[in-house]
Amino acid sequence: MAGGSRKPRAAGPVPPSITLVLDNGANTIKAGFVKRNSTSSNSGSDSVASTPAPRIIPNCIARDRHKKIYVGSEFDKCKDFGDLALRRPVEKGFIVNWEAQKEIWDREFFDDKAPQKCDPSETRLVLSEQPNSLPALQVHCDQMVFEEFGFASYYRGIGPAFNAYQDIQSIFQAPKTPETTVDIPAEVMLLVDSGYSHTTVTPIIQGRPLHPAIRRLNVGGKFMTNYLTRLISVRYFDMRNDPYVVNEMKEAACYASLDFNGDLEKSWKGTQGERREDYINGAGIAMDYVLPDSHTRFHGIVQEYDPTRLSRTRKGGVSAEDILTLRNERFIVPEILFDPSDIGMRQPGLADVIMQSLSVLPIGLWPGLLANIVVVGGSSLIPNVIQRLQTEILKRVPDACIVRVACPADPIASTWIGAANFARHEHVEKLAVTKQEYEEHGAAWVARKFAAGLRVDS
Amino acid sequence: MNNFGVIEVAGAKKTNAPGWAYVPDTGPAPGSSALQPANRKRAARNQAALSSSDLSVRQDAKIRKELDALDRDGSRDASIPVPPKPGRAQNKHTPNVRKILQSQKTFANHLDDYRALLALAETNPAAAAALNAAQLKPGAASAPTPPATAAAKNSPAPTPPPPTQAPTSTASKRSAAAAKRAAAAAAREAKEAAAREAAAAEAAAAEAAKAAEAEQLDIAKDKDDDVEMTDAPGEASTTETAQTTDGSTTTTSAAPAPGDAEPPLPPPPQTYPPDGTILPAYRRAPPAAHPSDDDPLLMSHVPYFPTDDELRALMTAPPLSYLDARAAVDDDDGDGYDASSGQPTYPTRHFCEVCGYWGRVRCTKCGSRVCALQCLTAHREECFTRYGV
Repeated sequence: MAGGSRKPRAAGPVPPSITLVLDNGANTIKAGFVKRNSTSSNSGSDSVASTPAPRIIPNCIARDRHKKIYVGSEFDKCKDFGDLALRRPVEKGFIVNWEAQKEIWDREFFDDKAPQKCDPSETRLVLSEQPNSLPALQVHCDQMVFEEFGFASYYRGIGPAFNAYQDIQSIFQAPKTPETTVDIPAEVMLLVDSGYSHTTVTPIIQGRPLHPAIRRLNVGGKFMTNYLTRLISVRYFDMRNDPYVVNEMKEAACYASLDFNGDLEKSWKGTQGERREDYINGAGIAMDYVLPDSHTRFHGIVQEYDPTRLSRTRKGGVSAEDILTLRNERFIVPEILFDPSDIGMRQPGLADVIMQSLSVLPIGLWPGLLANIVVVGGSSLIPNVIQRLQTEILKRVPDACIVRVACPADPIASTWIGAANFARHEHVEKLAVTKQEYEEHGAAWVARKFAAGLRVDS
Repeated sequence: MNNFGVIEVAGAKKTNAPGWAYVPDTGPAPGSSALQPANRKRAARNQAALSSSDLSVRQDAKIRKELDALDRDGSRDASIPVPPKPGRAQNKHTPNVRKILQSQKTFANHLDDYRALLALAETNPAAAAALNAAQLKPGAASAPTPPATAAAKNSPAPTPPPPTQAPTSTASKRSAAAAKRAAAAAAREAKEAAAREAAAAEAAAAEAAKAAEAEQLDIAKDKDDDVEMTDAPGEASTTETAQTTDGSTTTTSAAPAPGDAEPPLPPPPQTYPPDGTILPAYRRAPPAAHPSDDDPLLMSHVPYFPTDDELRALMTAPPLSYLDARAAVDDDDGDGYDASSGQPTYPTRHFCEVCGYWGRVRCTKCGSRVCALQCLTAHREECFTRYGV
């Protein structure tokens, strides 16, 4: 553990050769090391391909019902998720509680037996943050990195912008010709980051985010999980103390509806005494979810809907398992991403947020941005979200515009992979701040330097 | 109810206090009897039925409460202490770090601090700057105050963007962008009009082109950058090249007039987007020519492309604050269109609070929506236990 007073040995003209790349999300930390080699500093597809996957660490301190406490990656040892209490250092995407965050970072990176041990005084840190952070939180972050951990060199950049440092045309599965060159960073793209705390829309040109056009929608994975918890608690039974179980259920069962009115009609039970055929046989929407019982099963199981199950249990066969039949909960929950006004939020839906972001920009940029929309983050894993977003945007833009919406193969690690490529790119040398510079100029200077970003002419 | 025709409207911004809401006093006389009901029976009898505005206020409070609950992390406040680790020595922290580690502030606290600082900066800029320069918005803080120390001057500190390119308030930024867009749209419309009329009649074409030229000149007056204008197309030429204000060449070729024996001239070589240093032009071969490329009905009109300077201004603009970046529905004028994006704002959909189907019926007691009789019965039970009969 490097103290704040120790002078880094590696500081000076030679930048540290190892970079710790951290995508410090509210739900999980994506972490990995990147070694700088001289050949791959320029753009090239070989350096993109060689990026290993990051380690994914739960960013929380958890306490199960037996009062056992799990910190960070110890959470993998936790088997019983019932009645789980979580404490998260990251709120709304920003590191707020450094006491908890330091504990997790210590155990993962700096302790003697840490799984990803590194010596901060010989390491550069590339840390992602959500756009439009509060200045006080940014300053706290810089102070902690230099004064407490003592990294030799450091860059704190906007997470969505890191996504430009990968081959985005392969995400769209664009046809490749031999003369096709991979542009790193991508020339122009629109990044939608739908994470745990919120969803942000960031237009990016040459790796630089267009700050006036960044917009945020306060709907994220946590919000949807809470909404599903509320629906289930109102309709079936109280699950307000089991957010983890509900989150699993959301990941297993929820989907974005491509025909909302039709799906809603099919899942309606009808008026009193009415027997609707679609409701009885499920119409492909109803789904049985077997809840974990915390003895033999620790994860929920999705089952085909069985219309005869209810009558069988009523006849006397005692069902040992708690089975929920999910009907319109499956698509109502992701619907709030596209229509937050359904639950009374005074925010536009995701497609309208994208249009608001575009409306700040000149129309000449629209074709390029609309043809390169990349969706990352955990919420993009909900089935049909990409198709739904594409149809919603198509409704709103001029007919001549080509709209391509795509999601990378691993949307959760995408920001990390971009950041890892960035750590090898020449841009990082222009942006990173050394510990000496921090000690000389102070935290406000560092914050200004990071906020200004890359010069455009360089 | 003596409300002088004033209808209470639930504002978007209210302090969140769970469980209760301001509702207008509907008692018969605001004087003595409402405060001290001497005769309880009479007070109960004179109590007016809940008006629709009372319901909406109450419902708004309910919605706000529910949204706050949804935004919370987990259902209860988890106060899990950090487990002590025996193997680690307690090393000394610097004062800054100690302050940060001991801070138990939540994000909401930080946001309130930031709001207060912004308010202070508005009323008393000097005090705010003295309080904490680093706490302010980085771009805003760096612009007015030059770096004080010599070290900061010599350092490769980022130059703050010039004030003309980065207006401090987002409102003016947005309006500037809107004005730019409007100018571009006007130019495009003028071109379209010119092309259409040129196809109709040759004589009219000359007129329209002149009109278009005049319009473009008008637009060019608004712009301060230099504009290169080509001549208006004569009667004989079938291809008119309109030079847009940013210097990008947009070719709108009119269909040959009947009886015109000349074949259409090939369009001059051009690139789109115009070759700039920030976004290079498309270098590969253009798609193969199609016989009806010159058809005025199929022609596409390429929008105005920003120049390098505009792009640079966009790319180096300072970040918005947390509050400004939040996307919001902005339909205050009530025309059904969002003020910032121009997209239609559709009426809110209402759902059954019991089963999630369309909310087609309203509970007369509390105003919540249900779908049909079955759900209404289920809702009544809950409604009665909450509000009484």
